[in-house]
Amino acid sequence: MISFRVDGRSGVPPYLQIVQQVRQALRMGVLDVGDQLPTVREVVAAVAVNPNTVLKAYRDLEREGLVEARAGQGTFVRKRPPGPPPGTHSRLGRSLARWVRDARDAGLDDESMESLLRITLRADSGSEQIA
Amino acid sequence: MTWLVWRQYRVQAAIAFALLAAVAAVIIADGIQIASHWHSTIAACAGNSTCLLQASPLVNGVVSDLPYLSMIVPVVLGLLWGAPLVAHELEARTSDFAWTQSVTRMRWLTAKAGALLLVAAACGGVTAALITWWSGPINAKFASAFTPGQFDTQGIVPIGYALFAMALGIAAGTAARRTLPATAVVLGGFIGLRLVISNFLRPHYMAAITTYYHVTGSFTPPGQAWILAQGGLSPTGRVVAEGWGDLYPALPAVCRSLLPGSPTSKSGSSESAVFSCMQAHGWRGFATYQPSSRYWPFQGIETGIYILLAAVLIAATFAVIRRRDA
Amino acid sequence: MSAAIETRELSKRYRRVSALTDCTVTVPEGRVSALVGPNGAGKTTLLRMLAGLASPTSGTASVLGGMPRQDPAFLAEIGYLAQEIPLYRRFTAEDHIRIGAHLNPHWDASLVRTRLKELRIPLDQRVGTLSGGQRAQVALALTLAKRPRLLLLDEPVAALDPLARRNFLATLTSAMADAEGTLTVVLSSHLITDLERVCDHLILLAGSRVQICGDIDMLLAEHKVLIGPRKDTGPVERAHTVVHAVTTARQSTLLVRLGGPVTDPAYQAEDVSLEELVLAYMGADEANADKHLMAVGEDS
Repeated sequence: MISFRVDGRSGVPPYLQIVQQVRQALRMGVLDVGDQLPTVREVVAAVAVNPNTVLKAYRDLEREGLVEARAGQGTFVRKRPPGPPPGTHSRLGRSLARWVRDARDAGLDDESMESLLRITLRADSGSEQIA
Repeated sequence: MTWLVWRQYRVQAAIAFALLAAVAAVIIADGIQIASHWHSTIAACAGNSTCLLQASPLVNGVVSDLPYLSMIVPVVLGLLWGAPLVAHELEARTSDFAWTQSVTRMRWLTAKAGALLLVAAACGGVTAALITWWSGPINAKFASAFTPGQFDTQGIVPIGYALFAMALGIAAGTAARRTLPATAVVLGGFIGLRLVISNFLRPHYMAAITTYYHVTGSFTPPGQAWILAQGGLSPTGRVVAEGWGDLYPALPAVCRSLLPGSPTSKSGSSESAVFSCMQAHGWRGFATYQPSSRYWPFQGIETGIYILLAAVLIAATFAVIRRRDA
Repeated sequence: MSAAIETRELSKRYRRVSALTDCTVTVPEGRVSALVGPNGAGKTTLLRMLAGLASPTSGTASVLGGMPRQDPAFLAEIGYLAQEIPLYRRFTAEDHIRIGAHLNPHWDASLVRTRLKELRIPLDQRVGTLSGGQRAQVALALTLAKRPRLLLLDEPVAALDPLARRNFLATLTSAMADAEGTLTVVLSSHLITDLERVCDHLILLAGSRVQICGDIDMLLAEHKVLIGPRKDTGPVERAHTVVHAVTTARQSTLLVRLGGPVTDPAYQAEDVSLEELVLAYMGADEANADKHLMAVGEDS
């Protein structure tokens, strides 16, 4: 059974952290199709967050189709998130390593690289929403 | 609510009960002894009143102060139980807990104050009954139950005092919000009011009776009367209390010379000669008193006054607690 | 959704000092509202008035549909926990459970016993000898046993160590989960990290007045930090409400409440965290108070 961590200082809203942790658990195989997610009460007793936070996270996951709520029984995993085709990670990892070397030669430190990545991600997801 | 009151006070109630029982035991044991002593004295004197008065003392030592010690009981009740009733809850902030449960402040106060007032009345009644019984022979010997001191410790007035002291403690604690100042108010207020009422109000509950008599004779009101004043009255209306010191300057010169031991005395002078002289010059004896038939009416009036005061204090306490911020 | 709490210009004066001035707030049912502000800003006064322990000098308060009043029906629906955790020190937890059973109509004694057993707090030990954290848990359990619809908590975790604090908040959130939206909470605290996890509504008091009140998500969306070169802030002030401004020789950092979209390209708009928001409003009040003091000094 998955256990959640909510980091108050991470800058990511608590409900989103829960969503991300469920997705990650599905990717890693900690959660499998048919497994039951912890009940809202179990989560808040362990992690001390507002129950609505958990409800919102579970609703989001349900909207994505990853989980389904069965009346009177709980919330269960429905399917895995679509992953990239095999080999993608190693291919992307190699081009990323090349980019990191370029950036370091250009004089960027780790922080600047992370900041650049964050800005790019945000801009990209923004343009995705508009599109 | 009654369960809460009991739970809060059960240790104190046990201690108080034990103390009361111990004190009662002492009074009863002593009282039995006095009564038997008195009965044998009566038997020995066989109705001779002078013999009775001159018999050995019925009580001596600390025990003779028992009635006066019993006057402490109301004060102790007011100090130890009345003052902290509301004040301690406010000081410890447990009022924040008590007053956010599903009972109104009125019900809370009714239960707590009601229990304590009941206990006060009971304590007052029990001590009054015990002291009244214990004083039986003393009253008979000295015919003095109506006099200040005895009046305060017998009959039903101790119930009134106890109720008043408890109500004063509760009211003071509510007003001051702290126990210590409240206890000071109880002490000062109770003692002060008792003195004022017994010395200045009590003599006037009913208009006193004044009897005039021959100076040569004497007059004692029958039964257990309360003599307020007694002495001589000159023709001009000048009052002289008993005692040669005040009397001497007021006497006409001719009577003065009859006093034994005076510089101008002649032979044949004596006290009775002085009195005859005074009589001849228009002097009268007077006694202002409350007759013994008024003993119980006075007990009733005084108890009523104290119960009324207690009621006013409790009503004020209710009004304050209902409206004031916690 | 109906409002659990609705106040209108609620004020409380003590002789010449105003503890709370013109407080107008709304707390919808089911929210956990963070009551935040500097000490002396009126948080305790507000909570006590909502609980019926104090009465207002002026203004109105509607709590669970009616005025706070000394009425068993009203008292049964609210739970109040003062900062000092007022329990009878000589009584045990079990004693308090019995007191509660006698003094409240719907009393869930088993709830208290189960919870305290889970936390391994002894029921037969005098409450005065328990630790601060244990006492707070006992008090919270007793308050929840009433099955109230509204909880008013005045800095209940202020004196607790981090673990005790976490346990207290977990108990609180569990109770909320059990209540399924029928429980409203107003929680006053200085610890913003705790409030961020648990609260979804905010009331900020400073200088005995309400500075902001509303759902946290909405408030955070309505505020932005504008960072740009130091220049005339006039246009910004006209378009938005500047809450707090920090200027250096080269740069201006303005925390604003948006009056519309940010159009000036010179400014970079950043999201605001709850802590930044709270500090900005509290700092703004302090700055205003200082200005007032200085003006008074100049007049005299």
